[in-house]
Amino acid sequence: MTLTEWESKALLRGVPRPREALTHSLDEAVAFASSLGVPVVAKASGVPHKTEQDAVRVDADVAAVWDELAALGDGTVLVAEQVRGELELIAGGLHDPQFGPIVSIGLGGVAAEVFQDVAFLLAPPVPGELDRAIARLRCARVFDGYRGRQPVDRQALQRILDAIAALLVSDPQVVEVDVNPILVRGGCPLVVDALVVKTP
Amino acid sequence: MNAIFEPRSVAVYGASRDERKLGHTLLRNVLAGGFDGRVIAVNPAGGEILGVRATSTLEEGVDLALISVPAARAGAAVADAAQAGCRAAILLASGFGETGSQGKAVEAGLAEIARAANMRLVGPNCMGVVSRHGDGWLNGSYFWRLPDAPRGTAPGSTPPGEAADAKSISMLSQSGAFGGMFFAEARRRRLRVARFLSVGNSVDVTETDALDWLASDPATGVIALFAEAFRDGLHFVAAAERCRKPVVVLKAGKGRAGARAAASHTGSLAGSHGAVQAAFARAGVIEATTSDEFFDIVHSLGASGPVPSRDVAVLTISGGPGVLASDAAEQLGLRLPPPGEATVSRIRRLAPQFAAVGNPIDLTPQCPAAGFPAAIRAVFDDPVYQGVIVINCGLDVPEFGQGVVAARRRTGKLVTAFVLDAPRIEAELAEAGIPLLSSPERAVAAYAAAAGGLYRL
Repeated sequence: MTLTEWESKALLRGVPRPREALTHSLDEAVAFASSLGVPVVAKASGVPHKTEQDAVRVDADVAAVWDELAALGDGTVLVAEQVRGELELIAGGLHDPQFGPIVSIGLGGVAAEVFQDVAFLLAPPVPGELDRAIARLRCARVFDGYRGRQPVDRQALQRILDAIAALLVSDPQVVEVDVNPILVRGGCPLVVDALVVKTP
Repeated sequence: MNAIFEPRSVAVYGASRDERKLGHTLLRNVLAGGFDGRVIAVNPAGGEILGVRATSTLEEGVDLALISVPAARAGAAVADAAQAGCRAAILLASGFGETGSQGKAVEAGLAEIARAANMRLVGPNCMGVVSRHGDGWLNGSYFWRLPDAPRGTAPGSTPPGEAADAKSISMLSQSGAFGGMFFAEARRRRLRVARFLSVGNSVDVTETDALDWLASDPATGVIALFAEAFRDGLHFVAAAERCRKPVVVLKAGKGRAGARAAASHTGSLAGSHGAVQAAFARAGVIEATTSDEFFDIVHSLGASGPVPSRDVAVLTISGGPGVLASDAAEQLGLRLPPPGEATVSRIRRLAPQFAAVGNPIDLTPQCPAAGFPAAIRAVFDDPVYQGVIVINCGLDVPEFGQGVVAARRRTGKLVTAFVLDAPRIEAELAEAGIPLLSSPERAVAAYAAAAGGLYRL
């Protein structure tokens, strides 16, 4: 059973997220979008593989797309501030039959599956383990800032992994967690999308 | 567990007069290895086999029962050993859990019999145990050829003529056949072996139980493990974390074939090895990725134990291969600081003017033979370095080898070497227990593993 993005994010307690809301009507969506005062992204809810289904609209005119997206999904639409980041990361977690819950951190983006640059940690991670996991990545240097960019806030990353770990440890029905992408903006990682898979 | 590695009495079930039978091999191995405790054969026909008295059932318990009978008769043998009061049994027979669910049920029943009698059970489907015993071996295995027992390496004694800090290696294997590879490499590389246990299907004794025992075994300095799957993964991690000795692991089964059907990116990225990687990182074990690398790392750790510094000298008379070594060193996270001023001036007095006294330190083939020992000693004496990687292609000058061996003995520093077509030097270094690797890069990788390049990263 796959939870919606909104339900999944609700289970990841305390992770840094963009300003966003699940809207139940066009009016509510328009009001929320204008309160943000920045370009927004609108996403249909309860649709797996949203990008492939054309269920994500960037720079969205919420009034124009709300009905279409609501019909595509479960009748609600997620409206969020549109985030541009200097770096895309992927995190996740699962229950391994031999070693129990594990979490992961690595390079995200469209080429994530090509590079497969991801490190794994037993959950919950112990102090120091995240730094050592990042050091194992081929892309380790991007976490330290490069070309004048801010280093990635490791404490915020730690909070994301801790939240995934806490979910896996507390709920054995949670089979897999994807936090993808995490966009890093000015060094701050923001959870832009998340997916939790549970056993029925 | 003491009864498995240090038994004082052994029974061989299935001992046979028929030389083609594995039970004959097993009894012959026990006798030929040098085991000097009580040995008894168990065979329905009774009589005497290879000079050992045979009985149809065990009349009185022994420390260790070695059971080599067909699967169908294994239950009776395990029950007999348990009934007699044996402390441990190793079931070498195959045809159990590895054949399917029926076999799994049968072997679980055998474990139950053993547990009820407070008898530890190794196997089934394994090759047995090999363990240092006095100046020889307890060879409770099917292995056809063991390394020569190193002189005077009984637990607690310091062998003459060898570095006092050399660490004996103990190997645990889930695969019996890999044990054959281990003993072949141990012979070829002259490794000092302390213990070997083939755990097979691990119906009772697991690699974790054995790791715990080896962690406090005074005869063991380095622990090597070949694993395909972990029966109790988190217990293994905890045991490895507790263990103060280096643990080197070769994990087979990393391919996509064994990977789960993934519902997420994370699942497909993890494949079958993500969790293992996480577990090894927590456990602080050194993971080798190939069997070559596994034996190289075991070899260098066995020579000196872990080294607490990444600062190393590449000492060579061969320009190009020396540079290959320094390239590899940098790639693996080692550092190549230049030698101190005192070292430079000592070398300058001994080597030709065109010798490169940076790092690599290239003494050149034109270095007078008599100058080698002092120049080499100068490098080893330099406090900048915790160890030295030696590269020599084709200059078979005995003074070079003698210099390395003397300086290493004097300082106790870690040395790995690549020596090509210089048989006198190779013999000298091998005799001193210095690991000879088959390429400059492998000499560096073996060094780096012991120096933390791969260790606890």
